[in-house]
Amino acid sequence: MSLELAAIAANRFGLGARPGDLAAIAGDPRGWLLAQLRPETGLPATLRALPSTAQAAGEFTRWLTSIGLTGKAGKAGEAVALSRDARKPDAMAVTTDGGQPLSVEKSYVRYFWPAYAAGVEARFQTGVASERPFFERLSRFWANHFTVSAAKADIIALTPLFERDVVRAHVCGRFEDMLLASCHHPAMLIYLDNYLSIGPRSFLAGHPGFLPPYLRERMKGLNENLGREILELHTLGVRSGYTQADVTTLSKIITGWSVHGPRDMPPGGPVFHFINAAHEPGAQTLLGRIYEAQGEEQGVSALTDLARHPATARHLATKLARSFIADDPPPAAVDRIAAAFQRSGGDLVQTATALVESPEAWTPRPAKIKPPEDYLLSTVRALGGPPLSGLQLIALLDRMGQRPFWAPGPDGWPDVEDSWIGADAVWKRVEWASTLAGGYAAANIDPARIADAALGPQLGETTRQAIRGADSPAQGLALFLVSAEFQRR
Amino acid sequence: MIDRRQCLGGLGLAGLTAAGALAGLPSVAFAAAETDHRLVVVLLRGAMDGLSAAPPFGDPDYERARTGLALPPPGAAGGALDLDGHFGLNPALARLHARYGRGELAVFHAIASPYRDRSHFDGQNLLETGSTRPYGLADGWLNRALEGLPGSAREGRKELGVALAPAMPLMLRGPAAVTSWSPSVLPGPSPDLVARVKRLYAQTDPKLLAALTSAAEANAAASGMAPGGAGGDAFVALMTAAARFLADPDGPCVAMVDSAGWDTHANQVGPYGVLHRNLLALDAGLEALAAGLGPRWPQTAVLVMTEFGRTVAMNGTAGSDHGTAGAAFLVGGAVAGGRVVADWPGLKPAGLYAGRDLAPTADLRSLLKAALRDHMGVDPGHIERTVFPGGGEARAFDALFRRA
Repeated sequence: MSLELAAIAANRFGLGARPGDLAAIAGDPRGWLLAQLRPETGLPATLRALPSTAQAAGEFTRWLTSIGLTGKAGKAGEAVALSRDARKPDAMAVTTDGGQPLSVEKSYVRYFWPAYAAGVEARFQTGVASERPFFERLSRFWANHFTVSAAKADIIALTPLFERDVVRAHVCGRFEDMLLASCHHPAMLIYLDNYLSIGPRSFLAGHPGFLPPYLRERMKGLNENLGREILELHTLGVRSGYTQADVTTLSKIITGWSVHGPRDMPPGGPVFHFINAAHEPGAQTLLGRIYEAQGEEQGVSALTDLARHPATARHLATKLARSFIADDPPPAAVDRIAAAFQRSGGDLVQTATALVESPEAWTPRPAKIKPPEDYLLSTVRALGGPPLSGLQLIALLDRMGQRPFWAPGPDGWPDVEDSWIGADAVWKRVEWASTLAGGYAAANIDPARIADAALGPQLGETTRQAIRGADSPAQGLALFLVSAEFQRR
Repeated sequence: MIDRRQCLGGLGLAGLTAAGALAGLPSVAFAAAETDHRLVVVLLRGAMDGLSAAPPFGDPDYERARTGLALPPPGAAGGALDLDGHFGLNPALARLHARYGRGELAVFHAIASPYRDRSHFDGQNLLETGSTRPYGLADGWLNRALEGLPGSAREGRKELGVALAPAMPLMLRGPAAVTSWSPSVLPGPSPDLVARVKRLYAQTDPKLLAALTSAAEANAAASGMAPGGAGGDAFVALMTAAARFLADPDGPCVAMVDSAGWDTHANQVGPYGVLHRNLLALDAGLEALAAGLGPRWPQTAVLVMTEFGRTVAMNGTAGSDHGTAGAAFLVGGAVAGGRVVADWPGLKPAGLYAGRDLAPTADLRSLLKAALRDHMGVDPGHIERTVFPGGGEARAFDALFRRA
């Protein structure tokens, strides 16, 4: 029995202890974590209720159609630019709302916000209710590794589905399968522009007349965005020895990896569409290896090799150790995790097991700060409330600097302390704690008991006294929520 | 166009002396009067296309090299705004262009950080840390520079720098006291709760204590600021807030503002393109800053920079990919502007960096060093040793400021 190890398991590896959790897992905290490492047999109801990727994939075009930009899918970017410039004099009124013209921006928000908020809420509620919080943390880790961000307006409806359909499906599977799923998902293909990229010597490059007019300007040649980020972010890691030529080559290898438009998509999917006429013909040499295979198979081979590359093992192990153990990951833990990844052929269960079995991860002193979304999750898990709607979550997390599914770039959210505890960030947490605790002013709560249940032996004597010395239970609750012990893990 | 070599004047002579020794003279002389100066750094994340922001319409290869991206010449509909007959500004930067006419804007071209690969994240890391290699330093050059401010500038100021961002950007992280601020929607906590939290942190967590103390003060300074809207409005709101902080005589003298979304791989062109929208917001934000600073504007300099430029040629998706050299702006009442500083490498295929990018002929650190030394009075030895260690080959530009 160890309550101390139980608190580490629940808070450092999980999403925060709920009342009763610590006692329940204290018998075998490591075993509790390892038992969570199996694939999901079925999705949580919250996520099952979201639409399918195939349903959501056409939403952006359907919206364009609904505002009268039919047949101008190539103007998607313009419409979105317009949507952000809605108050500019040249912004157009596109539809009517009770007889009133609606700006493109308002139309965009009205069309997409309910679904986006539903995705945010589903993800949050999944975390709140989860009996497998380590599985959830790993899912969030890999979703951040393969970031797709609604900062690109075109994919706002797809971002929650990418996490559900690509990440969760493989978080207890093999890394190469997750990489391949990522490169086949419309959210990634659109986010990093690959769906428009065509080989310079491809059929379409020589015969642009085969493209609909609105695509001719946008599909003229190679786009390196996804090819570069696969090497730099998803697999080998930056400065691992690849060159600009490798970036260009990989980009050519995955030309043709595109998506069906809503009109030519088979009912129910798949959305992914390999366009052979956009694919660069011929063998390609990547990192010194020749890829002879033609068509989509060429990319599958190259991506599989990248997934199994030793540099990939090190890159992923370093990120995992940074996320779960310390901003400066202990080298011994990185070695152990990388070795498990390499030995198992990229089996993510073996990899996560090596993380759990790293003694460096079980030091009592907390080394990590919770990022805003995890902080809110652990709060709601500790208190059993309040219920937060998707729109409330968006507003709150936006102000805390982490609007869900909206990472600033393809490298995802930062995973080091200094990014999350600047002055303004800490202030926003105090504001939130104060507001939240205010809602408990009339409730019969014992904040010291709540703190004990959430933190166990991690709660320090100084903080316990501050909570007990508060002028009201609500103020004691606020002090617990902003305490260093609860913000760190 | 002013040739960089002319602009640098005594470069050859200074190069013969120990680094920094000659260059240090002017700032020592002026050090005592630097208290009133303000510096704003605007970091455009994602790599602004310098060839679109400041198009070299006079280059005979411009239209051919930038087919699909080139702007019409000055005078034509939607054409570039002329600067010096060779370079222009994007028409979305109309108010910035007016400042050029008033001598408040210097445009730098074919300029780059020492970074030569094409990763945003490494490029930004190097630009923010001031190191010669990515992840070579753990904190930011702007923070380290604050420690070299003259005593008169530090006196009476609790915090020397402010980031207008919910998360502290790397450029402003480090040993010197800095704060950060962003708009909020929640009611503030009671003073009693804040006092109790401070006492708790004082006993348990010095880092959280420092952050909270700093935030409480920033919040007092910012009281009454309106929360910003989305997109361009958000940037304008941040620049307005920056002005508010810098206008306070006891407030910070350096501000950093982030602007994201400059990675225009697709749909870059046209009046509704991403770049046009970003440039409009930049233009409006700079105006809001100038308006907010009012009488402080004559002592202000704003550095606008980005991690690298973009490919000369249009890519296959009506955008541009990661490149090397690009453009930077130095604007403000303290700037000796009205000129373009560039040692122009041209756009002929043979002259491009790696056959695809605008070749770098100037180092961004030369601009940053000049701003620190001649505008903020930072000790040149401190700049060389601590702010940009290992960056000796990038000599500070001379004569960029009205007083220096």
